[in-house]
Amino acid sequence: MAIRLDMTMSVDGYVVGPDDSVDAPMGDGGFRLFNWLDRRNDPGPSGQVVAESMATRAVIAGRRTFEHAGQWNGDHHDGVPIFILTREIPAEPPPGSVRYVTDAREAAALARAAAGDADVVVMGAGAPQALLRVGELDEMELHVVPVLLGRGRRLFDDLPRVDLELVRRLTTGEEVDPAQRVVHLRYRVR
Amino acid sequence: MGKIVLYMSMSVDGFIAGPDDSEEHGLGVGGEVLHGWLADGGVDPASHRPSDEAGATVFDEVLATGAVITGRRTFEFAGGWVGDHHDGVPIFVLTRAAPPEPPPGSARYVTDIASCVAEAKAAAGDRDVLLHGAATAQECLRAGLLDEMQLSVVPVLLGRGRRLFADLPHVELELVRVLDGPAVQHLGYRVER
Repeated sequence: MAIRLDMTMSVDGYVVGPDDSVDAPMGDGGFRLFNWLDRRNDPGPSGQVVAESMATRAVIAGRRTFEHAGQWNGDHHDGVPIFILTREIPAEPPPGSVRYVTDAREAAALARAAAGDADVVVMGAGAPQALLRVGELDEMELHVVPVLLGRGRRLFDDLPRVDLELVRRLTTGEEVDPAQRVVHLRYRVR
Repeated sequence: MGKIVLYMSMSVDGFIAGPDDSEEHGLGVGGEVLHGWLADGGVDPASHRPSDEAGATVFDEVLATGAVITGRRTFEFAGGWVGDHHDGVPIFVLTRAAPPEPPPGSARYVTDIASCVAEAKAAAGDRDVLLHGAATAQECLRAGLLDEMQLSVVPVLLGRGRRLFADLPHVELELVRVLDGPAVQHLGYRVER
């Protein structure tokens, strides 16, 4: 029902470190952002938000995220349809359940239709920015990691003003290793 | 000895002021929303005390600090707080070049971050030091002199403006406190060194 961004970011707003590439998809030092995922199978907030992400029935991502993730071998989770926003559709057909789309509104419409009653998950930075600009992003689940990466790729850049409303805040318990602690902030886009 | 603590309100996309901030519009275009969690009041900072518990807690901490460090831009955009941020505590204004005219009230100009921090700590005694402003926070982080950050995260994407964090080294933090206000999350981090 909702198109929801699901991304991990540093306190200073980066989703990958500097110099990201296909060979170094998280950039320099960026894998620090994923320490909290070591607890993805635990009961508690981190397990809960990962399970919610995996319960979505369609994926929207940008071309860069898609390529840097090795195209997820054509299957992000459970074979759900994946819509990749790209400026130009490559000559080679995409793998698995992937489809290339050049327009953010079209990607949103296709993903909503494919997901039915379930939610759509959005990943990357370029794709959510494109969806925000056309008013097609409904929610954001931000996993805020206690680190300043200092440099890298920002999640939010050069956007119009967008008002949000906090709908949920989950925090890893204090018993957990500080490096795996994270604040999960869910916002509704107003 | 007290800690150096950064207190700042910031948007979800990391801005502490909207675009085109100036002495007339210290928070830039649309930036007033960032201070919405502070209660409306007069020119007296104490009258801005929020009525909710989380907001009041953070507000009271700020006013319990024994010295203030800020940058020249923040100082001037805030009208120099008419020389008194709160209770007449010393205000250390970091600037590249100290102007010939002395600053008002309890403020004084300092040209390097290390002595700025040392003097503010000495002045504050057992109390914490309030750090306010983006450029000064960045200088403090680069010099490894910041102890804590209390970020009041406001549910808005400002889109453009002045960022709190830019071009820093990698800095590990430790989450020490989360307080929920009616329309703001106060995230407290200890800076690891």
